[in-house]
Amino acid sequence: MALVSCTDLNETLYDKLTLDDFKGDKSSVLAESFVNSAYATLRGYGAGTDEGNGVNCYPTCEYVFFTAECASDEACIPTRGSDWYDGGRYQQLQFHTWDAQNDGVTSVWRYNFVGVSKINAVLSQVDQTNIPAAAKTSAEAELRGLRAYYYYNLLDNFGNVPIMKDFNTDKLPANASRTEVYQFVESELLDVIPHLSADVIYGRFTQNVAYTLLARLYLNAEVYTGTPQWQKCLDACDKVKGYSLEGNYKANFFIENEKSNEIIFAIQYDHAQGTVGNYLGSMSYHYNQKYAFSPEGNWQWSGNGICAQPGLYSSFEAGDVRRNCLMIGQQKSAKDGSNVLMDNGEPLNYTEEIENFTNAKQNEGARLDKYEWAVNDQWERDNDWVLMRYAEILMMQAEASFRLGDTSTALNYINRVRARAGIEGLTSLSLDIIDNEWKHEFVFEGLRRTTNIRFGTFYNAWWNKEADDIDHHTGIFPIPQVELEKNPNLKQNPGY
Amino acid sequence: MKRYMFLLLAALIAVCQGVNAQSLTATGTVVDSSHEPLIGATVKVVGQQGAGAITDHRGQFSLTTTQGATLEVSYIGYVTRQVKAGKGLRIILSEDANMLDETVIVGVGYGTMRKSDLTGAIASVSAKDMKQGVITSTEQLLQGKVAGLSIVQSSGAPEAGASIRLRGGTSLSASNGPLVVIDGIPGVDINAVQPHEIVSMDILKDASAAAIYGSRGANGVIIITTNRQGGDSEQNTMQYNGYVAFATAAKKLDLLSANQWRGYVRERGVMTANDYGAADDYQDALLRTAISHAHNFSFSHAKKTSGYRASITYQNNQGVIERSNMNRLAGSLTAYQTGWQGRLRMDEGINANFDSWHPVDSRIFERMTNVNPTFPVHNPDGSFAQQPGVNTENPVELNTNRSDDQKRHRFLAYAKAELDIIDGLKYTVNGSYEQNMTNNGLYKPTYARLEGQSMGGWGQRTYGNYTNKQLETYLTFDKQLAELHRLNLMAGYSYLNNVYDGFGAQRSGFDTDKFLYNNLAAGTDFKQGDVYSYKGEATLISFFGRANYTYADKYMATATIRRDGSSRFGDNHKWGVFPSVSLAWRITNEPFMAATKGWLDNLKLRAGFGITGNQDGIGEYKSLPTIGIAGITKNADGTWKNTYAQNQNPNPDLKWEETAQWNIGLDFSMFNHLHGSLELYLKKTSDLLWTYPVPQPPYPFGTMLANVGDMENKGFELTLGYNAIRTNDLTLDVNASLSYNHQEITKLSNDQYEAVGLQAGSLHGLAGMSNMYAQTIREGYPAGTFWGPRCRGIDADGHYIIDKGPNDEGYYLGSAQPKWNVGLSISGAYKDFDFSVAGYGMFGQKILNATRMVLFDPNRFPAENVLDDAMTSGITEAPVYSDYFIENGSFFRLQSLTLGYTLPKPERLGLSRLRFYVTGENLLCLTGYKGLDPEVQIPDNVLSDPGIDKFNSYPRPRTVSVGINIGF
Repeated sequence: MALVSCTDLNETLYDKLTLDDFKGDKSSVLAESFVNSAYATLRGYGAGTDEGNGVNCYPTCEYVFFTAECASDEACIPTRGSDWYDGGRYQQLQFHTWDAQNDGVTSVWRYNFVGVSKINAVLSQVDQTNIPAAAKTSAEAELRGLRAYYYYNLLDNFGNVPIMKDFNTDKLPANASRTEVYQFVESELLDVIPHLSADVIYGRFTQNVAYTLLARLYLNAEVYTGTPQWQKCLDACDKVKGYSLEGNYKANFFIENEKSNEIIFAIQYDHAQGTVGNYLGSMSYHYNQKYAFSPEGNWQWSGNGICAQPGLYSSFEAGDVRRNCLMIGQQKSAKDGSNVLMDNGEPLNYTEEIENFTNAKQNEGARLDKYEWAVNDQWERDNDWVLMRYAEILMMQAEASFRLGDTSTALNYINRVRARAGIEGLTSLSLDIIDNEWKHEFVFEGLRRTTNIRFGTFYNAWWNKEADDIDHHTGIFPIPQVELEKNPNLKQNPGY
Repeated sequence: MKRYMFLLLAALIAVCQGVNAQSLTATGTVVDSSHEPLIGATVKVVGQQGAGAITDHRGQFSLTTTQGATLEVSYIGYVTRQVKAGKGLRIILSEDANMLDETVIVGVGYGTMRKSDLTGAIASVSAKDMKQGVITSTEQLLQGKVAGLSIVQSSGAPEAGASIRLRGGTSLSASNGPLVVIDGIPGVDINAVQPHEIVSMDILKDASAAAIYGSRGANGVIIITTNRQGGDSEQNTMQYNGYVAFATAAKKLDLLSANQWRGYVRERGVMTANDYGAADDYQDALLRTAISHAHNFSFSHAKKTSGYRASITYQNNQGVIERSNMNRLAGSLTAYQTGWQGRLRMDEGINANFDSWHPVDSRIFERMTNVNPTFPVHNPDGSFAQQPGVNTENPVELNTNRSDDQKRHRFLAYAKAELDIIDGLKYTVNGSYEQNMTNNGLYKPTYARLEGQSMGGWGQRTYGNYTNKQLETYLTFDKQLAELHRLNLMAGYSYLNNVYDGFGAQRSGFDTDKFLYNNLAAGTDFKQGDVYSYKGEATLISFFGRANYTYADKYMATATIRRDGSSRFGDNHKWGVFPSVSLAWRITNEPFMAATKGWLDNLKLRAGFGITGNQDGIGEYKSLPTIGIAGITKNADGTWKNTYAQNQNPNPDLKWEETAQWNIGLDFSMFNHLHGSLELYLKKTSDLLWTYPVPQPPYPFGTMLANVGDMENKGFELTLGYNAIRTNDLTLDVNASLSYNHQEITKLSNDQYEAVGLQAGSLHGLAGMSNMYAQTIREGYPAGTFWGPRCRGIDADGHYIIDKGPNDEGYYLGSAQPKWNVGLSISGAYKDFDFSVAGYGMFGQKILNATRMVLFDPNRFPAENVLDDAMTSGITEAPVYSDYFIENGSFFRLQSLTLGYTLPKPERLGLSRLRFYVTGENLLCLTGYKGLDPEVQIPDNVLSDPGIDKFNSYPRPRTVSVGINIGF
């Protein structure tokens, strides 16, 4: 043993890198991977990861998606015996009585803020690499755009959140007002748009994505700031180019939905590449659905959780192809066509009605059947998760036009959406009708809560929910208690 | 008094027979109280100068004397005895409790000391006092034997180890296992040597003793000695030890049998019940009478100038669950020789240990409770029946279908040289290499309900490798200066390098189950992450020294210091210093104690203070902002590419956990029969490591490993030994230990990190209890404290009346840490029979019986099985976590009961020893606990969530073994 090493305590890394490995990296392969890592953040984190830290943070599923859906009027997670009680988390969401301890709320916060922090870290790292200035500028634009996407979610869900632009872990941040967050998202997007790609690039943060996000921001501007921005919304929509409605509505949700010409932005999945978190179907179908899906009964495990609220199924017209996003009725064995039974021997017959939300029967509630499944599905699915698609541009144009008084333009847009759904065009419009169209076109796409709030219906009494408090504090979620405890500079949202 | 009567009698006989003196060749064997031959014992004839003999390697002697002469038999460390001369005598010498202190050599780390010179709290256990019966992991030898050392067997599985904790432990998140030093090599696996080879174990309990091991000493040190030093006379031994053991599960869950289930269905008129017509008991279907056997063969040669020893052990241990088993083949070869006119001594040794085992899938324990008891295990055609439903996979199928074969190879080699430079000055260099390899294969076939089926078969191979290279070198100076001063100095340097690496591959989608995990290329589905490899490294460098001074065998002082540098520590704390000082006063050697000499043999007061550390909780590279693979992203061209990003919150301040410990001890022995020690200690641990939640934002990761909290342990330990009876025919020894520990978390927050209570004791995975926790680590309470609602009774509707406490914050519901630990062993011999009884207990701890909590749900009936008493509890709703399911976990276990018979004249068969024995283990466990066993496993030996019985208990066996010891 050489004496020179007798007090040498330097750590040699074998299966990890340090930032030093990226410095002077002219090939920029590793540096590019930094930017790409920001897209990986979109898929979220499991409870067991250091990011999720005890809470599942999947935008597709538990609990980010669940929270958005259960707070809205389209879906719910009934308690079935002791199943799905989970500390009352989903009951709180249904009753609009959530508190700052609700894991669903924590999940939404964590998913978005981890995304923000990781992007801030990557921004500082990209800055330290030696990639060419032009590449650096476009990398930074993409990263800031993605960060704006997360901030839009935070604005929508929490309103008054800290604005973090630097990767600085020494200072504990304080809240900004909702208006400030709105302005931040707007200015960031406007700032980066010129440096983003103008091409249609599937899954990347391009100018089209930025404009769609901007349009979403303006569409809800009145909720966020008190000042409506309908015209700005229309202007932003006009900038989105290169997309069209798919002839088949369901094509957007196929396993190979990356081929869709309608999807503007999506989170990409491929189980063979090790992507995780994408198993929504298994959270909705009954345990014995596997016998209906596969002759051998070896389709993936499913957990009999999230389902449609009563009334949603029947609100669709019979010919509406979008109604197929809800599964209802007796399930038949894939082997011999016989009735699939539940374990208690009763037929597995999904009903629209749910008699008792806090102690529902196993077969009650129409199931989410939006994304395509296959007999050989793995637990992790391959369907990309749609975040933005062209139909939303059309619906935003319809709503903004109508709100600005241009009903005929609005009808033109909305009827394009309806035609694709296989239902007759409208001749007159009202806000209720537009709201209803949003509900049907984007059923189970995580947009409903925002739409409910924009149309004001969010605070009304509905199935198994009383009217919200008059102060409407429920329009934004509370800042999670765990975060308040860790950061004394954070202030709780009003009403909580 | 009995002894004197006996002597008087012997003398009388001698006098009477002395009248007609005739020549006699007296022969006999000198043995210790466990019938082991004493080699080199002195046999003299009383009153006959020059007549005497030394016992040989079989403990035998032969000398010529006269009829009626009296023989005096002595051996250092044993009570000298006189017996009448005769032929074929068997003379049992008992240990001299008083003398032992002078003669017993205790390992103190980087050298040895006489027990009488010790200033720190060190407990020694010699081989004959260790646990009897089936030993599958070395730490079991110490269970219940040392005051303050709490050993919990993690389960009844044959491959299971145990967790060891000294004086309450010092770490919330890292292992509380002591540092193990085998023949001078620190930090090695306790199972690197065979239990048979162990001569003694010395446990360094307080910081003044353990500080010589610095940043690894906080949880105490176990010094294991296998070296056998040769004496003046040549010794040769050859031994065989073997046993056959029969084990059954000590207890089963009281689930409904098929007939009980039918009874309730009839009685209650349940319409929805599905009677499948069978009456198979799923617990019985999984359990069996396990038959194990073990064989050890060893031989040795030892004299002053050279020696060797070879030993080989084969063990085949069956578990009480079908298919569960462990095989072990272990061998060792050690040798020493002196040279250079006796100035140089070289020691070399190789230990190799091959384990292979088949673990059970622990999910069977939950599944067997979920199945309707009338559902058959098998279909009429012999295939496994499958009840429809969730988590109702046939547990017998689950236990049968998968191939899970694990192998572990341990290898330890060392070479040690000691050179006497000048009188009293010695240089030692010790180099060692340890390697632990794991090599596992797992296959879940295509028909396996869990995983295998949906994946079309799933196979995996994994390989892990850990190496530990060490070089330790030190100078020792040991000198008697003038008459009264004795000085012992030691200074050294040590370099340790650990490397771990490994790889694995897994694949699914098999056309046939024939290959198991042996042909992964046959799998068709291949995912990112299905092949992987890893490697890491850590270095520990130390400088250390010790000074020990004794004046007139009355006053002793020891001071130690160690400076440790570890690559794992953060940049701001690369090096730590760990000092200690201790004093002892042998009061009985003072002139003013002359009056008590008659009864008080020894009284020694000790006091010490020291600082030790624990660096186990810091993984490699935890202080650095490392960048790792951060998920995969699809490029614009449709190809997927790995991305890299920072993968942890770095902490450059990361350092060891530090424990400052005061210890006061009193050693005493009196009446030549009673000896013991009393220890009082106070341990203050600071810079406790915990993975702290940090705010998100600004941190991307929700946690950061940081040194924040403080913890205090205080308590006392009492060890008593009583040599109750010492006659030629009957000996009886009683050893008892009692310890009390009180733990308190004193701090959990600092300026940077704040935690009111850390959630622990996860109930995740139990129906309806995801993300729930049963315990909170809170300032002012011990770790493992249950917090939650109280159940104030059951209301008329059969609902729990739940009181969530003020602000819904729950109540303090007790701690899972035992307050009292008790150990008791009684051993003795009557003529040629020997016996020993050993037991241990833990008192004052609480257990959350989560298994019962889940099974106490009457709504499980009739679809799933349920505990019998849940049916009549009157409760109608699903279980809610509350103190209703928190039980007193106190217990006392009859650990072992051994009865042995040693053939009185083995030499007739040409043997030196022949002993048969029967040992019963776990024959009785006194407890009020309603679950399977109150000794609930402590996952990873951390303090964060002990005491939760959550379907994880492999049933503990009750074992009867029959064995033989042969000395050739």
